[in-house]
Amino acid sequence: MKLMTSALLALCVAGSAQAQQEIKVGGIFDLTGITSDVGKPFAQGVRDGVIWTNENGGINGKKIHLFDVDYGYKIPEAVAAYKRMVGDDKVIMINGWGTGDTEGLKAQVNADKVPYISASFSGHLTDPSKTPYNFFVAPSYSDQLRAWLHWVKDDWKDKSRNPKVAFFYGDNAYGKAPIEAGRRYCKDIGVDLVDEEIVPGAFQDATSQLLNMKQKGADYGYINVTTTGVSIILRDAKKLGLNTKFGSNPYGFSEALPQVAKEAAEGVTGVVPHVPFGENVPGMKRLIDFHKKHHPDDTHDAMYVRGWCYVLVWSEALRRADKAGQLSGDGVKAALETFRDFDMGGLTNPITYTSTDHRPETKTAIYQIKGGKLVKVAEYDMPRKPEWLGL
Amino acid sequence: MEFFLQLALNGLVVGSIYSLVALGFVIIFKSSGILNFAQGEFLLLGAYVFLAVTSQANVPVLPALVLTFLFATLLGLALERVVLRPLIGEPIISVIMVTLGLSGVLRAIVQGIWGTDTRPVQAVFSLEPIQIGPLPVARGYLYSAAGVAVLLVLLTLFFKYARPGIAMRATADSQQVALSMGISVRRIFALSWSIAAVVSAAGGILLATMRGGVDGSLAVLGLKVLPVVIVGGLDSVGGAILGGLLVGVLENLAGGYLDPLFGGGVKEVAPFVALVLILMVRPYGLFGKVRIERV
Amino acid sequence: MRCGEFHTTYASDMGIFDTRRARWLLLVFIVALFAIPFTATSYWLDVTNRAAIAVIAATGLNILTGFTGQISLGNAAFLAVGAYATAYLGNKGVPFLIACPASGIIAALAGMVFGIPSLRLKGLYLAMATLAAHFIVEFTTVHWEAVTGGVSGTSVPSPRILGYEFSDDRRLFFLIVPVCVATLYFARNLFRTRVGKAFVAIRDQDISAEVMGVEVFRYKLLSFAVSSFYVGVAGSLLAYQARIISPENFPLGVAIDHLGMIIIGGLGSVLGSILGALFLTLLPEILRIVTSALSGTFPDLIRLFTPLRIGMFGLTIVLFLVFEPDGLADLWRRIRNWFRLYPFSY
Repeated sequence: MKLMTSALLALCVAGSAQAQQEIKVGGIFDLTGITSDVGKPFAQGVRDGVIWTNENGGINGKKIHLFDVDYGYKIPEAVAAYKRMVGDDKVIMINGWGTGDTEGLKAQVNADKVPYISASFSGHLTDPSKTPYNFFVAPSYSDQLRAWLHWVKDDWKDKSRNPKVAFFYGDNAYGKAPIEAGRRYCKDIGVDLVDEEIVPGAFQDATSQLLNMKQKGADYGYINVTTTGVSIILRDAKKLGLNTKFGSNPYGFSEALPQVAKEAAEGVTGVVPHVPFGENVPGMKRLIDFHKKHHPDDTHDAMYVRGWCYVLVWSEALRRADKAGQLSGDGVKAALETFRDFDMGGLTNPITYTSTDHRPETKTAIYQIKGGKLVKVAEYDMPRKPEWLGL
Repeated sequence: MEFFLQLALNGLVVGSIYSLVALGFVIIFKSSGILNFAQGEFLLLGAYVFLAVTSQANVPVLPALVLTFLFATLLGLALERVVLRPLIGEPIISVIMVTLGLSGVLRAIVQGIWGTDTRPVQAVFSLEPIQIGPLPVARGYLYSAAGVAVLLVLLTLFFKYARPGIAMRATADSQQVALSMGISVRRIFALSWSIAAVVSAAGGILLATMRGGVDGSLAVLGLKVLPVVIVGGLDSVGGAILGGLLVGVLENLAGGYLDPLFGGGVKEVAPFVALVLILMVRPYGLFGKVRIERV
Repeated sequence: MRCGEFHTTYASDMGIFDTRRARWLLLVFIVALFAIPFTATSYWLDVTNRAAIAVIAATGLNILTGFTGQISLGNAAFLAVGAYATAYLGNKGVPFLIACPASGIIAALAGMVFGIPSLRLKGLYLAMATLAAHFIVEFTTVHWEAVTGGVSGTSVPSPRILGYEFSDDRRLFFLIVPVCVATLYFARNLFRTRVGKAFVAIRDQDISAEVMGVEVFRYKLLSFAVSSFYVGVAGSLLAYQARIISPENFPLGVAIDHLGMIIIGGLGSVLGSILGALFLTLLPEILRIVTSALSGTFPDLIRLFTPLRIGMFGLTIVLFLVFEPDGLADLWRRIRNWFRLYPFSY
């Protein structure tokens, strides 16, 4: 009873103290679900980005209040959190996470006019005629897969035949997001897609899938799950003595991968839209300073950098909307659509949104793990083809 | 042919881990008639404690194993005393629910203390496979299969010749008669829970070292083990072993041949289809004791 | 002060309410219930709607497990059947007044199919068979993409009655709660009839029941059917309320939650289903309020919310089973008797 009263009092006091000059932003993160291995550093990056922004002038003087929720990668929880944030907390925009829930909420987001910036880079969210309020800060999964396939074509040295590729993906919206685009692009550039293997959401053992792939004789494999899953596939492949070259999507590939998969991760490539932590680019300085000041003992990775980039993008949009006097859902959307080559000092490529194209960037960097470290080996720029919008 | 053999072999070695966990299940059921839905969480705790002891306290492998087993024994004893004792005589649904509730509490404790990250475990076996004929087999799997074989022999001997083992079988048959023969049924329950916890912890450690990392999904094995014990018979040690191997092979063969047809997921559902079929045809499993009751 | 029950007619003995005061109190309660949509925020309306749906599902499960003694872990599967049936019918343009009962009937048929093993299996083994049923249904929802949309799920149109669209939680309240009240009334009445008593006889001593002339297998199947009908209706309402359903809405945890609700509430009691469902739906909400209020001082608490919720659920079940095995309904009965007999409550 006492606890309830003191808790309620604390809530009231806290509420009244932060009253007026505050911008409410919702954050839906996965801290405990099947993608929490990458969800946690991302969430930390967003939180830290918000603290840094508030410490450095906020949004034209106003502070950001981040409503932080863990939905455990369960779509019903995300829907409930969304209803709460929009209905009760009255947030102005939401920093979301997973493909399944973002795609599931797109009709609602449209009706409620709430800009939804998701950590999901699904190509289905890039067409403003279908999803005007959805944004993200990276090349789309589809563009990234196309870039990786391009790398495969360049890496394949045998001129007598096409390289053979297999896709591994999870049985959910996130896993399936880029696959159709990948299938079509393989045909376009002359790569043979010989096998598609599905892995369940949480799995321990990929041996039968790998054996199937071995039968089809794939030379390269693209893995579209998260770091934990990638490491299981890599280790099982090593145990089976396979010499397929593997590549991973941006949520399976970071500094954490060599730590978990150890020697099985050698030579694996991956798409890296946000640079690894500590990379020598001008924008990294503020992250490193913040890290030294607030938690010098933690380690960070590319997912953490990703979270920061998100805050830098939407806080800039909030600033522009506020200057224009339009601090509302529509105002923030319009502000985002004024971004032309918005640069964050090399943390990721410059960002552009227009009212007809929500693809923020199209250049993808390919990194490879050499000696346990991430090394950049290539970069590809996918053209902004209209038929690829929304795919 | 090689594909089939590879799948079968993989199934056998994965199945040996299932057998290990099923053993724990069966031991508890055999002596106290309780179906322990928290078996997967015992696995999980065993793996996490081993991880904590080796990587955070930097204890070498062998003492770490001993410590983990000690912890598992204490856990089994504590749970039996605190939770299961008050539920003697309650209807079976209450017992099932208690173990389900317990599994939730244990999982929450693990998540609360260690979080949900995959934590790397230092390699005990190298990743290089051993070649058996034309097929590469992971070293870790072979060790676990060997471990299971050793355990099987030990447990069978235990149940057949050792006094506590015979006492456990007597208690499983009839608690009242066992009591009148002077067997302390309470101590038997405690013993069976401890053994089950230790066996599961061993399974968890093996699984963790083979996968190279520990995370929450280890507990999913607790559910997978249900088809194993039904196929083998809920109160048969040999049935648990055989059931584990059968289910492992079935799973891998189904996954290998049927997954491409259905677009995945068959591997997970196949053991449960087998479960339903066995329940219809021979509910007491291959080696379980038959209790006839027709209405 | 009442000190006993004195009925002079068979009808009053069999009545649901034993005093006139109880009837009036219920009426007052229902009026108060319908005041909620005008005062609550949209989030709490969402919670109330979900709680009402849980009450229907828990009542269904209680009919099967509490009253007929057939342990079933397949509740999530039947919920899914009802929900997807509604989604499919709704997207084809079938109106609510037909789609909802139709989903219930489809779920009832599914229930009967999975009830067939109950002919040969009891207790533990039946629980396993229903568990397998859950996984099989889960597999079907993921792979039968033509009907269910697979893992991406499917959206459900708003229910319409005579052109009036129930588009948000406030309006859905007026649809869901009356259905809930109606199903509860029906359930309570069921156990005053022959069929209901046959169910209870099967639970208590099925061999004697068979000997006495109760056709055990037929009534078991009927129990599965009625229970699954309830759960199917709950699933249907869930589909309308959630607007988007996918296989993720129906994990095994839902079945375990429902079992927990009836155990905490009290097996074999309609009031138990209500109390248990409300308790278990509101528990995570209270937990959330407490953690977010305290998260100002302990920022790491957000991370602990999910394990705390799982842990609290498990702990609640364990504590109830150890200390209060007859559930909240029994607790309520004891409290009520204490007040009724005051000051002679010993």
